[in-house]
Amino acid sequence: MFFNSIAFAIFLPIVFFLYWFVFNKTKSTQNALLIIASYYFYSCWDWRFLFLLVFSTFLDYYTGIQIEKGKSEKLRKFWFWLSILVNLGFLGIFKYYNFFAASFSELLNSVGLKTSPVLLNVILPVGISFYTFHGLSYVIDIYYKRIKAEYNFIDYSLFVSYFPLLVAGPIERATHLLPQVKVKREFNFEKAKEGIYQIIWGLVKKVVIADTCATYANAIFDHYTSMNSFSLILGAVYFAFQIYGDFSGYSDIALGVSKLFGLDLLRNFNYPYFSRDIAEFWRRWHISLSSWFRDYLYIPLGGSKGGLWMKIRNTFIIFVVSGFWHGANWTYIVWGFINAVYFLPLLLRNSNRNNMDVFQLKFDLDSVKILISISYTFFLTCIAWIFFRAKTITDAILYLKRIFTNKEFGFQYLDNERYNYELLLMIGLFVLVEWNSRAKIEPLSGKRSLLKLAFAIMAIMAFGTFSDYKEFIYFQF
Amino acid sequence: MKQFLIYTAKVLLITVLIAVLMDGLYTYVFLQSKNRGKIETVFNSKSQNYDVVILGSSRANNHFVSKMFEDKGLKTFNYGMSGGHLFEASLLLKLMIERKYSIKNVILEADLNLSNDHQAEGIAALFLPYIHNSQTIKQHFQSNENFNELYYIPFYRYIKYDGKIGFRETYKIVKREKTNALDNLGYYPLAKHKNGNMKNNIVNLNPLKHNKYYEEIKNICKEKKINFIAVMTPMCENVAGMNYFEKVKKAYPEIHNYENAVVENKYFSSCGHMTDTGARLFTATILKDFFNK
Repeated sequence: MFFNSIAFAIFLPIVFFLYWFVFNKTKSTQNALLIIASYYFYSCWDWRFLFLLVFSTFLDYYTGIQIEKGKSEKLRKFWFWLSILVNLGFLGIFKYYNFFAASFSELLNSVGLKTSPVLLNVILPVGISFYTFHGLSYVIDIYYKRIKAEYNFIDYSLFVSYFPLLVAGPIERATHLLPQVKVKREFNFEKAKEGIYQIIWGLVKKVVIADTCATYANAIFDHYTSMNSFSLILGAVYFAFQIYGDFSGYSDIALGVSKLFGLDLLRNFNYPYFSRDIAEFWRRWHISLSSWFRDYLYIPLGGSKGGLWMKIRNTFIIFVVSGFWHGANWTYIVWGFINAVYFLPLLLRNSNRNNMDVFQLKFDLDSVKILISISYTFFLTCIAWIFFRAKTITDAILYLKRIFTNKEFGFQYLDNERYNYELLLMIGLFVLVEWNSRAKIEPLSGKRSLLKLAFAIMAIMAFGTFSDYKEFIYFQF
Repeated sequence: MKQFLIYTAKVLLITVLIAVLMDGLYTYVFLQSKNRGKIETVFNSKSQNYDVVILGSSRANNHFVSKMFEDKGLKTFNYGMSGGHLFEASLLLKLMIERKYSIKNVILEADLNLSNDHQAEGIAALFLPYIHNSQTIKQHFQSNENFNELYYIPFYRYIKYDGKIGFRETYKIVKREKTNALDNLGYYPLAKHKNGNMKNNIVNLNPLKHNKYYEEIKNICKEKKINFIAVMTPMCENVAGMNYFEKVKKAYPEIHNYENAVVENKYFSSCGHMTDTGARLFTATILKDFFNK
């Protein structure tokens, strides 16, 4: 059941009605309903993996309590590592086993030892990377005594399996979401209205921007050997907007849906393509994952405390791990590595926290500099996206090479029966709308909101891509 | 909560209003469509006189050279549609009858398309803008699973088939952008391709014993006293499962088997589609056999 499906359009109002009109007596009844709804939502993909979700929930719930109750440090450590290893074990088996087995076999083959790897015929449980990270952060926080263990199983289950965030995040923190599920929610009209705006704007991003860009990006990436330089450049730009529209659109819908139930989720995107450097980009892109890696990997590794080399080492580690988190493929690892390389000059100049302020454009030289910085950061991001999108590293390198060697910049008719340049106007308009509303969460709220909402609905109907349906990209992670 | 329910009702009302307005606007544009495709042209046309009307899939569209019929004094148009099934061929003939076309002969390409009586979504969608303007189209689609959504939900059909009848197509109609669908009196000539697929496997294909839409076309012709000529058109040399054509002949003895009228691969662009040269050889045979020309 996808957020942009008819099934979800029926599911959501039913749950909303039951939540506020039938199960609204206590927070326990509210939470119980949301868990049932969440499990139903999850089982629509594959009911068999529901057991994995329940097991993962129970494991972290139980080990969390045992860590807190642990009388000795040794015992606390035992429960802590049990949880970490089992969580990562599941992730390893379902997501990474085949990758490691195949890579190891290739390594042996390259030194003359002929092997054929034993690969598992398993499908990736949807959302496993997200709910595993929920559980991990919870257990780690308890172990380091940052939070108390949750003794109410229903409340804890809801924190892990709350349907808006279950399959593609944002990756929530116990400190943020658990306190909210522990109190009865009262209906708040303004919050619910914000939710509607976010849902509609998320749909615009998904069906108008992402899915339309996808048809062009696919036509270009899948036939890159016959594309000219102009098409290849556009392919990278289209993919940049596809992945942004897709993932931030999903996050907007998730946050909006959650607001309808009175629960605030962590903001995941903050207009990342308006970043002035790559550090700022990572403070604005997939914020819940970036901050997760910062808090649970970068800082425990020593963060920036051990001098420059330690900082560089740790930065490379988190970027490579972050790339690997996205999927079991070398392309993701290289994508992470490239981003770390982009980060390097900022670290060396100690300027990675330079662009923390909110900027305003005026008719002066500083504004020109800002625009150049934004364009340059976007250019770097697009280069990295080529590795993210390509099937293999070789494909990505050949794609890049062809951009520089082909040197033809004419219009080209693509496999999707459209010209390569046709989407530029739509993207330009989208950028303009986002630019003008970058101080807000979404562009629809504020003055004349109903009119803006009407335009957004019209855009979804007229310009949305529906027949060539694309799943949300991050579901595969 | 009351405030929110009123607000939600407003949003829903706006959505419905937009859908109704856009449905009306798109339909209006499609009603003005000219020079785009065969379906729109027939729908927006008035009475026509034809000696020969050709119907079928791409194997009709690429195989019957209309100009050769015209040269023999037969007013002809090739209404074969690439990717189309008999579902669409039948509906197109019904629309012609509704518009009081006077037709003497219908040549129907009936071979591989007899194996199913489903609609070809990409082609069938092109009729949908007119579903509220034609009882014929409405009735033809009535047995479809999603008829109610397509008919009653405003703008739904334009969203569901946005690739065919969505914004791009509407915009092209407004721009009066021409396609080549109506060139050469509907016939689309193919060239020889170096990499054309010259193999085909139709082993698993079986003709339906009573293809609903084939029977419909046959009955319309009988009722309107139109001479009905059903033919199987040629395939290349390398086809597995050629006994399919014998199965067709057994189930439908009235269909003329021209599968072997042209055989050499040099006359084929791909295994199921002849080149212009092949099509001319084939059309000459048809003209000789059925029209003594």
